[in-house]
Amino acid sequence: MTVNEMAQEVGLKSLSTYEDRPVNGVFVSDMVSDVMAGAKSGNLWLTVQTHKSIVPAANLVDVSAVIITGGKDVPAETVELASKFNIAVLSSDLPTFELVGKLYQLGLGSS
Amino acid sequence: MDIRAIKEALDAEVVEGQNLLSDQVDHVYASDLMSDVLAFGQPDSILLTGLATQQAVISAHMAEFKGVVFIRGKHPKDGAGKFAHDNRLVILCSNLDMYEACVRIENLVRGERDELEARKRADKPEKLLLSQERFMEGSDFANAGMISTEIKSVLKKIGFDPKLIRRVAIATYEGEMNVVMHAKRAHVFLTVTPQVIEVVIDDEGKGIPDVDKAMQAGFSTATEEQRAMGFGSGMGLPNIRRNTDELNIESQVGKGTRLQMRFMI
Repeated sequence: MTVNEMAQEVGLKSLSTYEDRPVNGVFVSDMVSDVMAGAKSGNLWLTVQTHKSIVPAANLVDVSAVIITGGKDVPAETVELASKFNIAVLSSDLPTFELVGKLYQLGLGSS
Repeated sequence: MDIRAIKEALDAEVVEGQNLLSDQVDHVYASDLMSDVLAFGQPDSILLTGLATQQAVISAHMAEFKGVVFIRGKHPKDGAGKFAHDNRLVILCSNLDMYEACVRIENLVRGERDELEARKRADKPEKLLLSQERFMEGSDFANAGMISTEIKSVLKKIGFDPKLIRRVAIATYEGEMNVVMHAKRAHVFLTVTPQVIEVVIDDEGKGIPDVDKAMQAGFSTATEEQRAMGFGSGMGLPNIRRNTDELNIESQVGKGTRLQMRFMI
């Protein structure tokens, strides 16, 4: 399943411009070092952090997409930086727990 | 090796051939049986023997040796000296026994071999393929992560294994974040040789009072504001350690910290 397919199934809004790619697992964390340590290449990263520093982190760990949950507003500069690096930033109105449930039902596993 | 080196290694006395000590020998033959010397000896050798007779010197000459070492303190009493003199052969006398004499010459050979290897290596120092220097400011959250992102790009362009690049990127990112959170400014040096990728982050800042403590997972000196952004979980240095092949941390409180991170290719 690719980012776009997943986004459509689950009802996410695309914020940045990016290249579609396959998704392989989900990593949920708001602590950047945990992401650096634990997220795998191709994972979806679910977080409520919206500052632009999440973009380099996402890039270096090579996640397939960052999903901002809980309906949080994502600052323009975060979206711009993400687009610059071709990193998918999507948003969901759902709280993390519910979004995870939906992704799980789609058949996506843990990181 | 030259005969002088053998003389010194064996603490030997020169009985004949003082002017021939600069001659080179390629092989050493140790034996008390002269027919073996004639059968198996190679030209330009030196003979180690306990048979202190003129016959030994003649045999050595027939086998085209450069000279003879009489061991166990033996001195020839017959015309060995004169024969050697007339036929341009060296005679040395050593008090060592055969075993010790052989060991010493072996050490001499090994020493010379090691020296040669070292000299070869010195002529070919680690070839520098790339050397870049970057500068970053502390507290600059707006640009946090940009340097590690650049370095990742550079390595990707060179074409390194993605898993290796990821390790370098993660470690550099954590190092960069440490500067942003805890230091005033830093220089970041990237060096690439055929064997290793090295990233050095040299900062001016408050330094680390207890490096061992800082290496503990979960230990953090981040501010509340930084934690609110998701930083300061205390995993930075452990993450760096896990991703590097070699990590050296030097720090002085009140001055700064220098991280040397090496990744074998």
